[in-house]
Amino acid sequence: MDDDHRREKENKNLLHDHMKFHYGPTAGGLLESVSMEFSTPGEKISSVSVNPAFKMRELSISGKSINDALLMVERINGYHSASFQIGFLTAVEKALNINVPDDIMNARILQLELERIRSNLNVMERLCLPAGFGVPANQLSFLKEETSRLIGNVSGHRYFFGTNLPGLCRISVRSLNDRIKEVLYDYEDILDALLSSKIFVNRLQKNGFIKDERMIGPAARASGFPIDARADSNSLDYSNCPFSLTLRDEGDSFARFMVRAEEIPVSRDIIISSSQKIRNNLIYEEEYNGSGNGISRIESPSGDLFFMVSIEDGIVKSLEFSSPSIVNIGLFKKSMPGNVFTDFHFNWESFGIWLSEVVHIK
Amino acid sequence: MVVGGCSYKMTKNWFLRGTLKGIKTEKFPAADPLNPPLWPSRLNGSGDVQCPTDAIKDGIWDEQRCIFCRRCLPNYKPTEEQDIFTVRENTNEFRKSLNIYFVDTGSCGSCNTELSTIFSPRYDANRLSIFAVNTPRHADVLVLMGVLTEMMKEPLYKALEAMPEPKAIVLLGTCSITGGIMGKGVLLPEDANLILAGCPPSPYTILEGLERLKGGKK
Ligand code: SF4
Ligand code: SF4
Repeated sequence: MDDDHRREKENKNLLHDHMKFHYGPTAGGLLESVSMEFSTPGEKISSVSVNPAFKMRELSISGKSINDALLMVERINGYHSASFQIGFLTAVEKALNINVPDDIMNARILQLELERIRSNLNVMERLCLPAGFGVPANQLSFLKEETSRLIGNVSGHRYFFGTNLPGLCRISVRSLNDRIKEVLYDYEDILDALLSSKIFVNRLQKNGFIKDERMIGPAARASGFPIDARADSNSLDYSNCPFSLTLRDEGDSFARFMVRAEEIPVSRDIIISSSQKIRNNLIYEEEYNGSGNGISRIESPSGDLFFMVSIEDGIVKSLEFSSPSIVNIGLFKKSMPGNVFTDFHFNWESFGIWLSEVVHIK
Repeated sequence: MVVGGCSYKMTKNWFLRGTLKGIKTEKFPAADPLNPPLWPSRLNGSGDVQCPTDAIKDGIWDEQRCIFCRRCLPNYKPTEEQDIFTVRENTNEFRKSLNIYFVDTGSCGSCNTELSTIFSPRYDANRLSIFAVNTPRHADVLVLMGVLTEMMKEPLYKALEAMPEPKAIVLLGTCSITGGIMGKGVLLPEDANLILAGCPPSPYTILEGLERLKGGKK
């Protein structure tokens, strides 16, 4: 190869060379530790890799009693603790052939929907922040805090820790209906005002487009896939609740925002109907002893949460769960190429990913 | 609220909407908290209990080991008191303002959200000159939360190194203090300037603890 040829080839390579840069594992815009590497030839991102292992905890659960295992399970993703508690207990109850009374089931549905409202408000707030929409972000954050306070009043703990135990559900639904209506009184007005802002909507539309058969949860429903464990899993019976599936077709960050936004009033109505069917501090007499294998599937705020548990003489022999956040990390990576870096925060937040779910269970 | 015939529901102007909603911030820590949680709060009681973290030994309750799991009920009961923190060193240098940078070394996520809640309208930490910064180079205080995972050791030490002097360290939540049931604590509690107990500590505990670290008094 002569010199001219070589120089031309080098220039071409330079032009097509991709610059790589890191983000994380700690950074001001990140709520949890995670490391990302972006590859770009200039403006558009051509690929992104995500390393979620930085904060991966090792949890020794096998060999523990059901109660001790539950203490750890409810702290895997503390923000979705009710989902983790209820998913785990449901799998245990399946393993031990325990029939749970209807009012316990209703109390569990009520907790999941309260948790979903807060989680959806959180995603919406975090989508306002990178757009510089401080006032709506603060207003949503206020509603989120009021929901946390309501959760604290209903269950004794702002994150539901210690609320569900084998044979016991510690909740108080006194004046819950009025409170949830009060908390969400301004919600639709904030949403209307946000949607009337072209600047906000434009930042989300066509950002992070994806349609993929592996999708779950709100992201799937935002891409037109009617996937929701509330509709198609028998782990919890939503058939008597005013539940309707929220579907959109655009498959972008805006659609993911809208699915979350539209599901908040649905969750509120489910809470109101469930609370009328339950008593305070529900206790049921069952022996959580014996052996067996059980599975459960419930709809956490980020999507499908599966548990598979094996119990021997009341001791957890093995536990596995599928994290919706790990699925969503894969989808985020796939949806990022073609977007510019400034789109990244919107796209990342629109999936509602929790790195805490990346744990190693022994 | 209606001002000059204009309700916040009628206007699309965000500045006006924010202003017309009125003040939502509590007077805490100058006044008592309006809605303190039961769990976590200071526990009071006596008697033998089966505590998963040995937080109760010889009838003495150790807030720094407690994960507020409620197993000691009814012998020990929550009081709603939120002052479950220890200030080891009161640093006069930060009297005017406190800039905090946080590092999540292996949390469940709840400590993170309770910390960010102190900047929300109910608590508004900014009014007490407490700010969150985006880099450890601008930070006075490093807030650590979660157990310490192997891979987070290096980012943690790098953040500590990057901070200018004087600097302070805050341990937020049982995981970072003693490890609780989820792993190992981040540092020896003696090495921290402020220890915020709770699983997770409530925004009231965090806000008052930081204010006291700044030298503020109740
Ligand atoms: S709440 Fe749990 S961890 Fe705390 S003292 Fe009681 S039993 Fe121990
Ligand atoms: S102290 Fe509790 S709330 Fe905080 S990270 Fe640990 S388990 Fe989660």
